[in-house]
Amino acid sequence: MNSAPITAWEGAKAYFTFADRPGVLMFFCAVAIVACAASIASMMRHETSCSKKLG
Amino acid sequence: MDNAALLAKIEALEAAVALTKTINAEVFYWWCTALMVAIHAGFLAYEMGASRAKNALASGLKNLLAFAFLVPTFYFFGWWIYLAFPTGFTVSDAAAAGLPWSESMGPNLGDNASGIFWAAFTLFAATTASIMSGAVIERIRMSAFTILAILLGGFVWILGASWGWHPNGWLTSQWGLHDVGAAGCVHTIAGFFTLGVLINLGPRIGRFTSDGKVVHIAGHNMPMSLIGLMLIVMGFFGFLGGCIIYNGGTWMTIYNTPATLSAFAFNTLMGVAGGMIGAYVVTRDPFWMMSGALIGVISSAPGLDVYHPALAFLISFVGGLAIPKIADFILERLKIDDAVGAVAVHGFGGVWGLVAAGIFAAGYPNVEGPAVSFLGQFMSMLVFVVLGFVPGYLASYALKALGVLRVAPAAEIAGLDIAEVPVKAYPEATIPAYGTSVMSPAE
Repeated sequence: MNSAPITAWEGAKAYFTFADRPGVLMFFCAVAIVACAASIASMMRHETSCSKKLG
Repeated sequence: MDNAALLAKIEALEAAVALTKTINAEVFYWWCTALMVAIHAGFLAYEMGASRAKNALASGLKNLLAFAFLVPTFYFFGWWIYLAFPTGFTVSDAAAAGLPWSESMGPNLGDNASGIFWAAFTLFAATTASIMSGAVIERIRMSAFTILAILLGGFVWILGASWGWHPNGWLTSQWGLHDVGAAGCVHTIAGFFTLGVLINLGPRIGRFTSDGKVVHIAGHNMPMSLIGLMLIVMGFFGFLGGCIIYNGGTWMTIYNTPATLSAFAFNTLMGVAGGMIGAYVVTRDPFWMMSGALIGVISSAPGLDVYHPALAFLISFVGGLAIPKIADFILERLKIDDAVGAVAVHGFGGVWGLVAAGIFAAGYPNVEGPAVSFLGQFMSMLVFVVLGFVPGYLASYALKALGVLRVAPAAEIAGLDIAEVPVKAYPEATIPAYGTSVMSPAE
């Protein structure tokens, strides 16, 4: 996978992976946000399950 | 050497000086950010110590979660909000640079500023969430706390910062607000957000008798809390350093008025001392003395750049005298169980700091907007109070209505460590209150 937005360092500015492909960056952001939300959902399940164990 | 060679040398020297200034500025904020991590180490120790042994790890886990979730949240939304809303609720053109897919929001050889400022602001964001976390210990659900922390640290405080802690924020450009140390957008907003949450969360089981008398609930490790509070004070040197704009050549406040780091040094230390002594005088309590240090920083924060050090001491001394009494009032009269006094220390400390700047720093000119005035400071303070309280109250009300704000009574009585945490705080300790066998206090 070629993720580099540059082919030479001379004159390079934004050089992070996929800097020239905003659609890919938006996709990564969306997945990361879903990962955070899913982690909170998992936290809620853990709390509920622990609470049930205690009666 | 001919003229052309001389000119080339001068140009090379100028370029070297410019590069050095840029790198100096990056280095400065890098270390401010690192120092601010001490605030979170401090909150971690302080809140674990203020919890009973059966809840020690759960309280610490809550702090770690707030920190971990605030970093990505502030990346995805927070920085954009800061750049977007200085004029109120209309989106500014500058906001595009804060979108997480913009060229500024990642490694960029042409932008040495965005990442380092984002990092410093991210630590401010995590600080606001940590301010809330101590107040709600021992009964809030971890997930509810995380959601509220994201709302406070990723959205609410940064909207206040955009309005009142930004070179073009409308509170400054229209009312002349002066709050260089972020007492309003960080402390007042976090304190009143916390108050809104506490109203819906309710007190810990056993905090009040059936006839409304207060029952003292001691934390399990006061020395740990004191060390934690001292770490927070240390971290505030990073926080306040991060509040001043350094471009490698000169120092400016966030409002583009000239300043020196020396001014911040004089008044931060004098403020810390004033708050500590004031709180000692009224409480004789080391916990409140160290909370007084925070009160001192917050009380002087809005005018750190202009106060005479003796005045900063006195403003903070008065804060140290008054705020513990406000904490008593909140507990005894309003029956609100704020486990660490966060509403009083941060909420009312911020209120006092903003109003004090209106009294003692009136007349100083702003670059944008009218001069500093009592009315401008007072009205801005009211904006911060409302901006903090309303979202905190409404969001916690919604979580309560859904039945996910508070842990079950059985878990609260057993202790949150045994209920939810897979490791033990003190596996080999013998705690008399729990019997004589070697056991975890959570058992």
